[in-house]
Amino acid sequence: MQFDSFTFLLFFAIVLLVYNAVGAWSWRKNVLLVASYAFYAAWNPPFLLLLAGSTTLDWWIARRIDAQEDPRRRRTWLVLTLLLNFGVLGYFKYSGFLLDNLAQLLAVVGITYKPPPLGIILPIGISFYTFHSVSYCIDVYRRKFAPTGNWRDYALYVAFFPQLVAGPIVRWTQMRDQIETARRSTVEGLGLGLSLLVIGLFQKVALADAVFAPVADALFKTPTEAGTADAWIGLLAFSGQIFCDFAGYSTCAIGAALALGFSLPINFRSPYAAIGFSDFWRRWHISLSSWLRDYLYVSLGGNRGGRWRTYRNLMLTMLIGGLWHGAAWTFVIWGGLHGLFLALERALRETWFARYDDGALARFAYGMVTLLGAVYAWLWFRAGSLQTGWELHHRLFSPFGAIADALTTRPAQHLALLVFVAVVAVQWLMRERDLQRVVATLPAVVRGVVLGLMLWIILLSPGDNHAFIYFQF
Amino acid sequence: MPSSTSSSEPARGGHWLLSGVVTLLVAAGLTLAVERYWRGKDYRPGLLDSPQLWSIQRDRVYDDERIPLVLLGASRIEFSVDMPLLAQLLPRYKPVMLAINAHNPLATLRDLAYDEKFKGVILCDVDARGMTRRYWEMQAAHNTYYRTQWNLSWRVHRLLLNVWQRHAVVANPDFGAAATAKRWLSNGPAPFKGYHVFRRDRSGDIHFDQTDVKALTAHFEQDLNNSLFTKALETPEEWLAPLAEVNDWVRRIQQRGGKVIFYETPTAGTLRKMAQMSYPRSLYWDRFAATTPAATLHYADVPALEAAPLPDQSHSDYRDKPQYTRDLVDALVQRGLLER
Repeated sequence: MQFDSFTFLLFFAIVLLVYNAVGAWSWRKNVLLVASYAFYAAWNPPFLLLLAGSTTLDWWIARRIDAQEDPRRRRTWLVLTLLLNFGVLGYFKYSGFLLDNLAQLLAVVGITYKPPPLGIILPIGISFYTFHSVSYCIDVYRRKFAPTGNWRDYALYVAFFPQLVAGPIVRWTQMRDQIETARRSTVEGLGLGLSLLVIGLFQKVALADAVFAPVADALFKTPTEAGTADAWIGLLAFSGQIFCDFAGYSTCAIGAALALGFSLPINFRSPYAAIGFSDFWRRWHISLSSWLRDYLYVSLGGNRGGRWRTYRNLMLTMLIGGLWHGAAWTFVIWGGLHGLFLALERALRETWFARYDDGALARFAYGMVTLLGAVYAWLWFRAGSLQTGWELHHRLFSPFGAIADALTTRPAQHLALLVFVAVVAVQWLMRERDLQRVVATLPAVVRGVVLGLMLWIILLSPGDNHAFIYFQF
Repeated sequence: MPSSTSSSEPARGGHWLLSGVVTLLVAAGLTLAVERYWRGKDYRPGLLDSPQLWSIQRDRVYDDERIPLVLLGASRIEFSVDMPLLAQLLPRYKPVMLAINAHNPLATLRDLAYDEKFKGVILCDVDARGMTRRYWEMQAAHNTYYRTQWNLSWRVHRLLLNVWQRHAVVANPDFGAAATAKRWLSNGPAPFKGYHVFRRDRSGDIHFDQTDVKALTAHFEQDLNNSLFTKALETPEEWLAPLAEVNDWVRRIQQRGGKVIFYETPTAGTLRKMAQMSYPRSLYWDRFAATTPAATLHYADVPALEAAPLPDQSHSDYRDKPQYTRDLVDALVQRGLLER
């Protein structure tokens, strides 16, 4: 079920009513768990078994880890759950990719192998709930907390429907108190939550789908027909699309949770106003980047092994982060580019710019460099193949095509360009501000008018079937 | 306590209520104003076809009580058959409209052939040109959508969207914010004023009295002329060879007790002449009819269908649909292809 569907509006209204009508907190949690499973099953009911099964197994294994005193046995249980979780994820997500690469490798040595069509359907949200479970088990292993003995509470943590299929990736430490302490909808929570829902839907429906997607789709569908200006505008459009699509989802998720009395962590903080690439990753998909930092980068040794090990760990983390997004070499390139940007930035800061005191202009200029780097990397994120990516790379940097085709760009491209500039400008204005606080402290009438305009534009942006981009990860 | 209208303190309950009311008033007021504006220019609300609307019908091809009668094809059958009348004339059958405007139907035929649960009758509107291999995949995207994305959630969404589209002009993306902004940026013309009505059962009515029929006909002629005579056509042998695969699909359906009827719908005037010139019946349709295990029906063999009024040489006016439907049913029943 998607937030931008009439079904969700109906579903959410029913959940809000039933949740608040039920008295005991324990029963309200049951309502939320049933609602979360219904939310998931509405997409593909059989995969509910996978979700419930992996939840139960991880909950049980975490208890085994905690119960063991022998470090080797604790580690064995941890390795088992990691193998299980990443095994399932790998089967669904990477089988085809691995077989295709094996075939290509064999072809190099003259062996012809055609992998069979696997026809595997990726369970929606599997990457997200796998990360929930893995972080829980690792934290229990690290003795950060004792595991919960209550299966329902753990199941609700994994499956809580606002964040189930596309994040934010929430830690148990961020949810435990909220699940164990009674709560319900409040006027403030409903007010702010529904406001965020409107803002998130505006980002998704009015901007990502109606303004950016047509221009980005046109570019990536027929890259060979693009001139330089087409390529740049299309790439900026995709940059706008993926931000508005994913940040829109996160904003809706945070809003829906707030309306139910829960607080989810912020996932985007004006990433296109980042000054530097490490700043970008503190602002883009914050819950994923912090997950990768805490469970991958730190596990690899972080910055504890000297300069070169730090660079290696940065690069590995970003490469794996890229591969997490999708089973394709284009995602590896995207991750590799960000790894390179981060390593380069670190090297420059440690050497040439170690004592440089930057002024406002320099910070703005570096912000623009960061934005350009991130935009360029999106090319590889979206390109369906290495060939498409390479083709578009050439078109971006072909100087002779720029002026000629800029004159032939269409109104849809002009609109996408204008809106992208507006999105970046708003992010610079919001750079040090928190969206929830801004919404909460706006004068009531002003807030009503702004949200009313957004709701109006949403109503005037009717779509039919617009899957959230991050659903496929 | 400072007011939220003058401080940075988070809003209290009353302020949220006020902002909620303002939000709804602004959104509703502006939407009504835009709706009124377009209605004032004589635009009317109407359903829009989509893979979701198609999928609702696709779900209906299974039935144990009545025999599913699945209509495949493109606009000619979609806008010419009166579905309620068809159900009335053939009470043993459950008509299902899966034709898609401007898309030849063989991908859907293939999908139904490989669907072991489907055991119904298919009336497949397709002409010799539409059977050409390069047009087979035209409906594939709808079938892929149905197989990979269609679910209960989208079904509920689409049923609610139907209500919105039936009552609001602004439910049409042509009147949406982005479309309006693009028109404004390019100083473009007002949205196209449709002359057809689309129904929930996915059949449609063409109101030829609401459009310039001459211009429309000329457009069709030009379009067909471009696609027929600007590139080399397949020889009958090249055309027929891949159809062995289509015959396999037919056999799969027949083995489950189902039936396939290939039906070439009528055309008239210049369109008919061009179709006959490019794909002469004796060299194409008749050769296929002789080899396929499916039943076939060609409009030229049914005088009533051959004489069907087609204002744009290709489609029936909504007022002629009942007669066309009766003539088609009579022809199918008389040939023993369907039973009343």
